[in-house]
Parts: sequence; structure tokens; C-alpha cells
Amino acid sequence: MENQKMSFELQHRPSSTIAICHLPAGETLVSEGGALMALKGPVNVNTTTHQKKGGGVMAGLKRLLSGESFFMNHYQAQQASQVWLCSALPGDMMVHQLTGQKIIVAGGAFVACDSDVAIDLEWQGLKSIFSGESLFWIKAHGHGEILLSSFGFIYPIQVEGEYIVDTGHIVAFEETLSFTISKASSTWLDSFMSGEGFVCRFKGRGTVWCQSHNPSQYGSLLTPYLRPKSN
Amino acid sequence: MQVVEQGTAAFQILKCDLMPNESIIVEPGAMASQDVGIVPDTSVNGSFIKALLLKFLGGESFFINEYFNKSSKPQSLYISQSVPGDIQVIDINNEEIFLESGSFIARTQGVKTHLRWAGLASFIAGEGLFKLSFTGQGRLWFGCYGAVVEKEIVGDYIVDSGHLLLWPSTVQLELKLAGGLISSFLSKEGFVLKLKGHGKIKLQTRSVKGLAAWLNARFWR
Repeated sequence: MENQKMSFELQHRPSSTIAICHLPAGETLVSEGGALMALKGPVNVNTTTHQKKGGGVMAGLKRLLSGESFFMNHYQAQQASQVWLCSALPGDMMVHQLTGQKIIVAGGAFVACDSDVAIDLEWQGLKSIFSGESLFWIKAHGHGEILLSSFGFIYPIQVEGEYIVDTGHIVAFEETLSFTISKASSTWLDSFMSGEGFVCRFKGRGTVWCQSHNPSQYGSLLTPYLRPKSN
Repeated sequence: MQVVEQGTAAFQILKCDLMPNESIIVEPGAMASQDVGIVPDTSVNGSFIKALLLKFLGGESFFINEYFNKSSKPQSLYISQSVPGDIQVIDINNEEIFLESGSFIARTQGVKTHLRWAGLASFIAGEGLFKLSFTGQGRLWFGCYGAVVEKEIVGDYIVDSGHLLLWPSTVQLELKLAGGLISSFLSKEGFVLKLKGHGKIKLQTRSVKGLAAWLNARFWR
């Protein structure tokens, strides 16, 4: 039983994807608050600001800054159980198996992971302030599965050399890639005028997972039509 | 140049493969990801005055981004839109077609944009004084919220203004109240468009204004 690990099963792909986590007895699933859809089986639910294996209130505060929720839910199965998870926007999910390597997840894309996966907030430095995206991204490493969600579908790009992704279209990337946030065009004026704003320029060898649609763009399209509070 | 639609019906995007020296004109903000050999060139949309008119009267961008493959190898570019939905392509061969503002995604160099007078009634209904037209020769990609429905018009046909996406110059639009003054207000249909003439029009199955109205009714209760 020691070797039995939890696993994710994706259903209703790719536009309204949900994930069913099959949790063997004794195993623990860590998920982002608000992602739960249904529970089946005897499961202990524990809500903390941190992961069992480190962090504290500060970790929770940092998580808020990354666009994730302050609280993390821990689902520990007493017997074999199922936890159903969903995301807020219509779109797909992906499961990534970590075997010691690290991946970096863009704010908002993280849904859940095996408790043997350590997640930590990583300060992206001043360069990310200007990008309009969150200041912290999640760094995940360890052994086990991690579940991510996207707005629209996910397309992986195998980077060899260099590749450019709009900051709003990044889901996650392998840590073997280095990146710089840069302007989309050759001059600042052009970048500002072009409406592209900031892009992420990846260098090295590894995978970057992109999402087909940009949540903030969808939001800004809708905003002019929404009514402010009137009292 | 090879452009293919990718993804599912609910979330389509374009993957555009450019050969060396080829280019495509893309709506600002629509680039999702790209190879590094592709370089955007930002310029004013037509003449300065025309660009100003397009922006403030046609609801289009003041600038256009033309993406050039400046490398010596084939390079690709992913192009997306803000809303979940279909993307379609239309070949233009010297005829004139009209597009609802905001649904333009990309075009080849030979396709030109113009502003055409839409009329005062259109302005009163909140649809703008001008409408956006495309002529020339080449391909034009447009996106929609939801799915695209094609309809062959012969004679009169009525559509909701938020759902009309594309129409040829052989079809004329006339703005009308959905019913009488009071029933138009009560039914929440407001203004509708009466189409006359013949030709193929395209409609979208969802509208952003419809979503916003639905959300507004649920806020601040």
C-alpha cells in the first residue's frame, strides 16, 4: 500500500474539464481553496495557510500575491476516496508527473498536487512588476503529480534555443528554461503602441505550456459593459 | 504562408507558419506566442487621419502590427482572440464585406480596411456612426463569441445587432425597433437590424453585451 500513489483522471475535456483525484488510503491531496466540486469517501479535510512540509502564515500571504488563494486544503483519505476538482474559467486541465525536476507555474494556473510535491512561491524579481502579471510564480518540485488549469486549451512548445510567449498565455514551464520579460517590439514606443505590452522570452531547452486564451484580455473586454455599484 | 485553425470549437486559435520574408497583419494584443525569427512592425493604420477615424469612429485600433519573418527559416506564430469561440477565414476578391468591430483578427497584406457611413439611426442605437469594411484581395480572419452561423439572405431578414458578425455589401442594414415602442422596451430586445438584399451573412451564437447584461443583473444586489 505504501507504493500506491494518488492519480488524477481528467473528464469532460477540453472545454469544461474537471479532474477526479483517486486517493488511496493514507494519501493526502493538497488543493487550492475553492477548487472542490465533490468528495466521495471518508476524507479528513484540513485547511491551513501552509503546506504540511514547510511554510507558515507568510507562505499564505505570499500565495495571495501570486493570485492564488490564501488557504490550502488538505484532503487525507482514511480509505480509498475520490476528490473532484474544477476551475473557475471554461477550459482544459493538465496533469504533470514530477520525478525530481522542477516546474514553474504561472499565478492562477495551480489547482492541486500530491502532498509529496513541494510548492513554493518564487519572487520573480522586479522584472515581473511591469509585466502586469503576478509578482510571484509557484515553483513545484518533488515526486508526484501536479494538476494545472487553463483558460482555453493548452499547447506545449518544445523550446530549443529561444521562444516568445505573451505573459498572459503562460501556464507553466520547466525550470531548465531561463527567461527574461521584455517588450514585444524593438522600441519601447512601438511596444506600448502595439498593444502587446510584455512578452516572456524563454531561452534554453525545455517545455513551456501555453494557454490558448488570455484571462485578463477577456476581463478587459467585458469591463466597459459592467455596471459600477450604484448607491 | 500556411494558416490552420487549432483547438476545439469552443476555443479556436490560429497557427500561422510564415516562410522567410512573408508577413501577416494581426490585431494588437492577439499574439499568443511565436518563434523569435518573427518580428512585429507597428505602424499607423493607414494615414494618420484615417487611423484616428478608424479608432474613434470604427472602434478599431489606431496601430496595426505586421509580423514579418525576418529569419531564413520557416517560423510560426500563434494568434488568439479575447473571447472563447470560433475563428473563420474568408477569401476576399475585390468585393466589399463588412465586419462587426472587434471581431477582426488577422489579414494578409492585400486586404484593405475602410470606414463607411452607417447612418444616424445606427449611432442612436449605440452601434456607431461608421462601419468597418474590407476590400482588396487576400484572406481575412475573424473571430466570434460562441459559434459562427452562416445564413443565405434573400429578401428581408431580422437579426439582433449584437449577433451580426459579417455581411456583404449586397446586403443593406436598417435599424428598427424590435416591436412597438413599449413592447421593444419590455421584451428587452430594443433595436434589431433588418437586413435587405441577397448574400451570405454570418452570425455569432453569443454576444459580449449579452453576457455583461446577465452579469450586471447579478451584481450588487
